[in-house]
Amino acid sequence: MKDENSKKQIIWRYGFSLAVITSGLLFNYFNIGKEFLGFASVGIWLIYVGFIMIAVITMQLLTKKKRKVDERSEFIAAKASRITFMGIIIFAFMVMIIDGIKEIGVSYSYFISYLLVGIVLLYLISYKILEKKY
Amino acid sequence: MKNKIRELRKKIEITQEELAERTDVTRQTIISLESGKYNPSLELAWKITKALKKKDIKDVFILK
Repeated sequence: MKDENSKKQIIWRYGFSLAVITSGLLFNYFNIGKEFLGFASVGIWLIYVGFIMIAVITMQLLTKKKRKVDERSEFIAAKASRITFMGIIIFAFMVMIIDGIKEIGVSYSYFISYLLVGIVLLYLISYKILEKKY
Repeated sequence: MKNKIRELRKKIEITQEELAERTDVTRQTIISLESGKYNPSLELAWKITKALKKKDIKDVFILK
């Protein structure tokens, strides 16, 4: 049952990556979008992201370690998620206040990409710290 | 909550890895339990009690 679920998960992940690449190709074909996050167009960026996703999934499959998930790791993950959620709220308040003092002139794409990286980093750091505590 | 996991584990001569396998958790969880950093759920406490060949949960875990 577990194997079946992981197989399905892999298929979904590959499918999503291919959908990202296809949408990138379509964006390029219909000339939708302009320069995006340092790339010539949104389509090229989507294709790039799609290939990165495929590379990551393949690497994970090739170097697969059977990671055991027990109640302690679930407990730590739940705590790390709560810390991350609180972090997002505090960050949102800070952004609102800073924007009130001096208008922030960053494009949405850059802002969201920084935010996503920040969320992932905050989660990983809090998970690692909590792992030492519990 | 205090526990006697380390003491009882050594008595029946099993390693942390073996206890982890018997209770279906990671070795890291056993280390955390033995050092008192983490308190187990009731289900895990029962599994550990059984794995340590004890009948009563109170023989392994002591509520402070």
